[in-house]
Amino acid sequence: MEDKQVMIEVNHICKDYRVLKKGEGLKGAFKGLFTRESTLLRAVDDLNFSIAPGEIVGFIGPNGAGKSTTIKMMSGILTPSSGEILIGGRDITKYRKEVVKNIGVVFGQRSQLNWDLRLGESFELLRHIYRIDKAAYEDTIEVMDEILGVKELLDKPVRQMSLGQRVKGDLVAAMLHSPDVLFLDEPTIGLDITSKYALRKFVKEINEKRGTTIILTTHDLADIEQLCNRLIIINQGRLMEDGNLTEIVNRIAPYKTLVVEYYDEYAPEHEKCELISHEANMAKYRFEKAAVTAAKLIEELSAKAQIKDVSIEEAGIDDIIRIAYGQ
Amino acid sequence: MMRLLKQIWYYLDVSITCLRVAILQMMEYPSSMIGWLLSNPIQFLVGFATIQFVVSEFGSINGWDYGQLAFLYGLSVISHALSMIFFIQGWFMGWVVVEGEFDRLLTRPLSVIYQFFFMNVNIMGFTDLIPGVIVFAYGCCKISFHWTLSNAMLLLVLLIGATLIRGGIYILLGTTTFWTKSTTDFGPFTQEIFDKTTMYPLSMYPESMQFVLTYLIPIGWVSYYPAAAMMGVENSIVHSPGAVWLTLLVGIITMLVAAGVFHIGLKQYESAGN
Repeated sequence: MEDKQVMIEVNHICKDYRVLKKGEGLKGAFKGLFTRESTLLRAVDDLNFSIAPGEIVGFIGPNGAGKSTTIKMMSGILTPSSGEILIGGRDITKYRKEVVKNIGVVFGQRSQLNWDLRLGESFELLRHIYRIDKAAYEDTIEVMDEILGVKELLDKPVRQMSLGQRVKGDLVAAMLHSPDVLFLDEPTIGLDITSKYALRKFVKEINEKRGTTIILTTHDLADIEQLCNRLIIINQGRLMEDGNLTEIVNRIAPYKTLVVEYYDEYAPEHEKCELISHEANMAKYRFEKAAVTAAKLIEELSAKAQIKDVSIEEAGIDDIIRIAYGQ
Repeated sequence: MMRLLKQIWYYLDVSITCLRVAILQMMEYPSSMIGWLLSNPIQFLVGFATIQFVVSEFGSINGWDYGQLAFLYGLSVISHALSMIFFIQGWFMGWVVVEGEFDRLLTRPLSVIYQFFFMNVNIMGFTDLIPGVIVFAYGCCKISFHWTLSNAMLLLVLLIGATLIRGGIYILLGTTTFWTKSTTDFGPFTQEIFDKTTMYPLSMYPESMQFVLTYLIPIGWVSYYPAAAMMGVENSIVHSPGAVWLTLLVGIITMLVAAGVFHIGLKQYESAGN
């Protein structure tokens, strides 16, 4: 039989929320007591994509774009209003209890660890919930300790942990049952540089060593740049972009920026580029990669005015986001 | 069959672990344990003292003498305590729904309703057991209750049934919050109603209310009917001790209905925004 190589299949899912209409003032409030008028708000609109085993996919989009709703539907928390989500070929809405055995979920803002007890107690409970035998558990802890250094935390009460340590605890907790798919919803939120580094290392290593498929939402663009081989941009519940990071950059922002420092305040124009800012001796030009090379541009500009220094900025992920979000 | 047994064993194993966690967690806060140990028993012992006063003034309440009332009161408090241990979460469901606390439970391979109650077992509820057992034991002495094996069995059946009825009603009330999305605390309201209707003979209320509490909201089956059945106190419905099994039946039905409505409600669940 042919291996289809699909881990997650999202088929035309929509999610509608019912929002109660509230009238204005006291009169409206009274009216609301008797007539429950509501409108449907479409949070996710016909999303359609599939993810192969071992991919690391970054979900980005502005606040309220439907990222969290999508992740929550994919991890069995919310029921899609229409459409279906298959994980490992099985519908997560219909077979929730079976399918979730194969997924791990970490919410950056919500811990699944028992606040009052030592970390090891939370793990022990999960060991029973996921029916993990002692040997397999020890093995996983060993592997996780190499990546994150978690052993020293096992006897520490969760309430005494720093945010970084707690997130480490949550990451390990989500991996105890060795799921094929790991969902990370804003895992780096509030973390310091060292903890962020540890988290990224964790994502890379479990992906390499265990082939875990990872889906993450984030507002930290560095997470995306360093981790994701695929990017899905969502806005207003719709799929805006889906593809490889560099490919998306080349497609929707196919330009570079040339920053030139002149000796004088005069900054010449050039027909193949656009002068986007000019302050004192500094000028910024944006040019299409396909239209002209940077070398040619520098050569022709220096013929018009004397250049002191130059640098070139690639269009980055933040340009993509600005364009995709329509700002 | 084998699969069912395995499944039961699995849930039992997780339950024991949850209980262990709950005990460990309780021991983290010894002072609050002492507080509950003092306040809860006093509350119910004072309640019972009121009954004692009424009986000494009027001789009996609706034909129930002092010992029988103690038996009834004790049973009611014991099933109350058991429902506090296992089902108290139902009172706070509004908060749980609005805060999105069901998220985590939905990502685990266990029944959500089971997790909701067992991941938060309230060991502290045992402090209510103490006054219940004291008053009940006192009532048993007064009416010279025969501690035969079959009577003990009936008591067990009664308490399981009564706890399920209470739990089922807590869940049904709590489940409304899936639709209303309000953070109502059902605790004070529920406890008031249950206290007033299960600790005294139901026959002292108007007939219409008795009808409602027998057939629509089955609170009468928590303690009044089964206690009357066990002691042979005259009433309109049950006449033999075997009727105690009806309490278990009503309990199972209430719980099944509650679980059904809970699962319909869960489909409405919207989690919480970030």
